[in-house]
Amino acid sequence: MATHEKVDVVIVGAGASGSTYAAVLAKAGKKVVLLESGPDWQLSDLISSDIWGRRVKPAGAPFLLQGKNPYGYAYQAGWGVGGAALHYFANFPRLMPNDFKVKSEHGRGLDWPISYGDVAPFYDRVADDVGVSGDAKGEEIWRPSGKPYPMPPMKTFKNGDVWLKGFEAVGIRMRKAAVGMNSEPYKGRPACLYDGWCHVGCPIGALANPLVTYLGEARTAGAEVRPRSTVTRVLTNASGDKVTGVEYFDEKKEKQVQEASVVVLAAWAGQNPRLMLNSATDKHPNGLANKSGLLGKYMMAHFASGTFALFDEDIENHMGTIGGQYFSYDRYDKLAHKDKGAFGSTFIVAGAAQKTSDLGGFANARLDLFGPALADFMKRAKRGLTRITAFGEEMPNIENRIEIASEKDEFGMPLGRFTHSFDQAAVALWNANFEEGLKVAKATDAKESWSGRGNMPTIHLFGGTIMGTDAGNSVVDSFGETHEIPNLFVAGPGIFPTEGAPNPTYTIFALSLRGAEHLAATWSTVAG
Amino acid sequence: MTAVERRAFIKGAGIGALAFTIGGAQVLLTPAEARAQGVPLRTLKPEEAETIEAVGETLVPTAREAGIANFLDQQISIPAEEALLEARILNVKPPYANFYRAAIGAINGASDKRTGKRFAQLDAAAQHDFIDLMRQNKLEGWQGPAGPFVYLILRSDAVDVVYGTMAGYKSLDIPYMAHIEPTRRW
Repeated sequence: MATHEKVDVVIVGAGASGSTYAAVLAKAGKKVVLLESGPDWQLSDLISSDIWGRRVKPAGAPFLLQGKNPYGYAYQAGWGVGGAALHYFANFPRLMPNDFKVKSEHGRGLDWPISYGDVAPFYDRVADDVGVSGDAKGEEIWRPSGKPYPMPPMKTFKNGDVWLKGFEAVGIRMRKAAVGMNSEPYKGRPACLYDGWCHVGCPIGALANPLVTYLGEARTAGAEVRPRSTVTRVLTNASGDKVTGVEYFDEKKEKQVQEASVVVLAAWAGQNPRLMLNSATDKHPNGLANKSGLLGKYMMAHFASGTFALFDEDIENHMGTIGGQYFSYDRYDKLAHKDKGAFGSTFIVAGAAQKTSDLGGFANARLDLFGPALADFMKRAKRGLTRITAFGEEMPNIENRIEIASEKDEFGMPLGRFTHSFDQAAVALWNANFEEGLKVAKATDAKESWSGRGNMPTIHLFGGTIMGTDAGNSVVDSFGETHEIPNLFVAGPGIFPTEGAPNPTYTIFALSLRGAEHLAATWSTVAG
Repeated sequence: MTAVERRAFIKGAGIGALAFTIGGAQVLLTPAEARAQGVPLRTLKPEEAETIEAVGETLVPTAREAGIANFLDQQISIPAEEALLEARILNVKPPYANFYRAAIGAINGASDKRTGKRFAQLDAAAQHDFIDLMRQNKLEGWQGPAGPFVYLILRSDAVDVVYGTMAGYKSLDIPYMAHIEPTRRW
């Protein structure tokens, strides 16, 4: 086992949050090492193919899944440099002010220890940093004003435009979506070509993945990335009040130790608690920073209600981006579907480029079809199919959790075990969104429309290391600093105490920028 | 896999080619070409491949000719981290060969119990009825991964080889619009 020279900060995970921390700290003059379990992907690896795109999806130790709605993590998690943000849809909606005080306002869920106003300046700065296209003024019907986005909205196509009539009929206002993509050249990166391959990675750099944004900046500032380095433990001093580095296995599967003044865990909401639980010592018998007993608890997922519409005409459904052309917060009130027994926000997107295969491919728009019926459907859908998606919010539930199992991976680290079930309010919201989606579709000029029902999906992952006011009610503070160990930080969606309904990456970038700048500003106190 | 081999993989990706081993040498072929050339199977037994082809063809017409058995055989014969299977993103626990063997066993076991024949020996109408019951988890005597999940995975594999390639897009007259080769690395 080799012990590497001590560095200022070691960051576990080179995805959205780890890259942001690395950029800020490297530019602040800190010696930064990122340890990433997967490969060192390059843009030229991002092949435009749903089949080949699976190479950038998780390939490490599996998670064991249980509960009524087992968490389907592999489609949306990352593996390798860039993490999940290497293949994300790059929808860039924000959380809304009502997301931060759910407990106070409704007596359920949890409160954040900060408000929308604390995060808003960082949304604006991330937009400038990574490049966001959208209509900020248009969004002000739903949120406080902020800076305009640095680029105008993206083009829209018929496959998005055809929905507007339906939404108007149902009283839902749509706005051109904010996306982390270039509607025009930005910071030396080209404009989007609208070929719809965003979800397997954008090889031209028009989409704001970490390689062309924060991670690129971090590398330029001197941060070192060590790919194929799997961290298995966070190391602490004898008194348990400081972390001293991490233990990891390198690409030759040899054990290494990287000492550091500060450790940032940015390895995803699933891996971070697994690592912290596996780092238990006599001073932290239940896992690091787990005095609250909440480490690994309150894990949350989004769910989606997809509605399809089939038009006779060619609606250019091969064109666009894979995320959404329009979005709406008009059903974002937590009580918007109260009459259906639902609770939680809904975020709606419309219009997306259609591909044939993979989970989101249009062959799956009618999962019940096979044989000649499927072949016939593929021909009918190839130019006329489009969809909308309503993302729903589930409330934090302490029973939804990650634990470590007795079964171990190739490095001797216990596997993580997810337990996840949606509650009745979430199921009711899922159903209500299907019902309303169908009303919208039927108010368009579509020839056919239907709900894309199947098993209730789990999308995105949050919680497990939630933020709060103290060590009694949470694992970290609002900056991601653990309450019990000042030089141990956690970054990413795991620190969200509630999830809201929108795609999370914009908020992950914003919170990571806020946490990293706080760390840099308080360095002597934290790392001293 | 060496860097040279990996680049070869990537170069072949655009046409949907995979690395098959013929006479000890690796060659890039599409699964359809591998089938047409009779490339030996590495992991699947002939009877298993026959079942995969019959199920694939029932799920998506032309999946047999598109080389679904060669595709799956090649994919379950390489390290899991290199696999391009939809099973990877549907949380199937590697090694993936275990899942496919269990699925094939469940299909033939239930078929035998129902008809006294393996799935591949059924006529097309009976195969269709069997798959429809499997999809709905209504097959008696089913022992293995859940029927609807087997349906989802094998249907996805068949869709991949028939519709997920550039040739598949062309067959539907959908512009593929492949990525632009990057001219620089960041």
